[in-house]
Amino acid sequence: MTSAVRLTGVAGAPGIAIGPVWRFDAAEPALQAASRQVPNQRPADAIEAAAAETARQLESLASRLRDLGREQESAIFDAQSMMALDPGLLDDAIRRAGEAGDPAEAVRAAAAAAAELLASLDDEILSARAADVRDVGARICRVLRGEVLVLPAVPSIAVCDDLPPSVTAEIPPGFLLGIALAGGSRTAHAVILARSLGIPAIVGIDGLIAAVDGRSAPSAQPVTIAMDGERGEVVVDPGARVTTEFREREADLALRRANAAGLRDRPAATADGERILLVANIGTPDDAPRALAARAEGVGLFRTEFLFMSRQTPPTETEQVDAYRRVLEAFGSERPVVIRLADIGGDKAIPYLDLAPEQNPFLGVRAIRLAYANPDLLLTQLRAIWRAGAAAKVVPHVMAPMVATVADVELLISLRDRARDTLVGKGLAVAERMVTGIMVEVPSAAFLAPELARRVDFFSIGTNDLTQYVLAADRGNAALAGLQDALHPAVLRAIAGIVAGADSAGIPVAVCGELAGDPAGALVLAGLGVDELSADAGSLDGVRAALAGVTRPQLDALAHAALAAVDAETVREMAGALLGPARTPNAAGPR
Amino acid sequence: MRADEIEVRNPSGLHARPAALFVKTAARFASAVTVQNVTTGAAPANAKSILAVMGSGAARGHIVRLTVDGPDEDQAISVLHDLFASGLGEDLEA
Repeated sequence: MTSAVRLTGVAGAPGIAIGPVWRFDAAEPALQAASRQVPNQRPADAIEAAAAETARQLESLASRLRDLGREQESAIFDAQSMMALDPGLLDDAIRRAGEAGDPAEAVRAAAAAAAELLASLDDEILSARAADVRDVGARICRVLRGEVLVLPAVPSIAVCDDLPPSVTAEIPPGFLLGIALAGGSRTAHAVILARSLGIPAIVGIDGLIAAVDGRSAPSAQPVTIAMDGERGEVVVDPGARVTTEFREREADLALRRANAAGLRDRPAATADGERILLVANIGTPDDAPRALAARAEGVGLFRTEFLFMSRQTPPTETEQVDAYRRVLEAFGSERPVVIRLADIGGDKAIPYLDLAPEQNPFLGVRAIRLAYANPDLLLTQLRAIWRAGAAAKVVPHVMAPMVATVADVELLISLRDRARDTLVGKGLAVAERMVTGIMVEVPSAAFLAPELARRVDFFSIGTNDLTQYVLAADRGNAALAGLQDALHPAVLRAIAGIVAGADSAGIPVAVCGELAGDPAGALVLAGLGVDELSADAGSLDGVRAALAGVTRPQLDALAHAALAAVDAETVREMAGALLGPARTPNAAGPR
Repeated sequence: MRADEIEVRNPSGLHARPAALFVKTAARFASAVTVQNVTTGAAPANAKSILAVMGSGAARGHIVRLTVDGPDEDQAISVLHDLFASGLGEDLEA
């Protein structure tokens, strides 16, 4: 008699799957001998022949996906087929193999070295290609050794550390029910592929491999697992009761998806008709189409750090005008875009700024604080925003991060006006005005809310940093996970004070932290009187559906009870109860 | 030898797809072709190697320097320049 083991990871792609495990080990995958053996030859010839064969296989994968209309994924394999024939990679492998070395080992080492180089780049898209290079190396090795992968024989859930994209694509459609990874991140290829295939994926599941391998040893029967990609839950050996529970969740998810799609055509509102502005967080102009497709009513946080990173010289004013204009034009005059001024500090190496290393960069000279000694960076950015607004014929919104004092706000406003005067002096076109706000994320700003509110047009609460500063718990420290939940009543009481300060001056309050994209968090925030929620495009459907299921009196009662609570767990339970039975956190699960 | 400096205007820089098109085109010529990211100050990379081109980390707004050396260098530099200017197969306004 065995009992179910419940594990949790990070939700990657939503959906429910229940099925047998297909174990894949990227370092030592299950292999079988291929029908065609590679003849004996010099290492250099063997490597070149195997690379050519690998490139052919990858090209045929690419053309198969193109025929299925999956252009974006086919491009991954096109690039991989060129990597297989890359002169730098092959020369390195041939050099490593020498006259009598193991060609497969030489290819593996050369691919690992090339992957290292890409992984070291300060560019998320390119460094993610490191896994693709390793995968190409592994494929050439298999050809050299005359081996092929053992693929699942029945529809299965892949369980592994990480699943290379070419392996995912080789599994025939319908044979992959879900992907459960012990490693990986939400931006892993396997997760992107899972979303496009509409199957669930969970990453970073502690104890997954041990739990699955521990079960499969004694019997020949493959282990069964159940997974919920939305909550990040995996149950090994689920049994009849848990299977029924997951099937119910599946039906509920289908219903919620149908409802969410139906709700997209209307602006976000509560069941009794109170509007809440639902907008998106974006990191680059390329994120705009996804936000528009999710029916974002604007952008509540346009991060601009992408312009300033990984370069030797600061971005020019023209370069910035171009980037801001693209986003302002994409959203038009009906959907406001809030541009956040550069949030840069000693935690980032920026060669052209000459920042002194700091013991504690998150409590150091960052963001608006940099402008006291060196205003040029912000002045250039503000001039670019004035010009982009004129070019796009819209009123741009800006906000400064890390504002702690009234002096910070006065500096922001004087720089804004100075930037405008410079442009007007040169005869350049500027936007008619600039709606100016601040991020409230430092406790002192929360205490000074009434004074700050009289001087700006809006507040936007950054709940991630506010939580870190209120609870004095580093966001990146896994040992402090219990102190990182923004639903902690201490944080909620700070938010209530910020909203009261804003109300006294009649300005709106937005929230652009992760809490705004969490359906439970969104209800608490709406209850506390927040006017606008800004979250990743992928979270908007869930928040819209949560708001549509509650009334203002219910939200008021929730906020009242949450402010009286003493810990985050209690608040989560209360909000979960309002979300409906399908969303109530499981008593056995984590927070 | 011919050389040319040009700004990367692709939204995500020289990531897999534009890099692949650039490398395929460079490989058609007999001349040696290198690409160097001037903005980051990286070393010149073999333009016929997709790993080297992606490894140059050229992002939108960066300046890259192309050099072509060999029998067909005149034709190569003009074809590669036009390819860059036309967005390496991507819609630059999107």
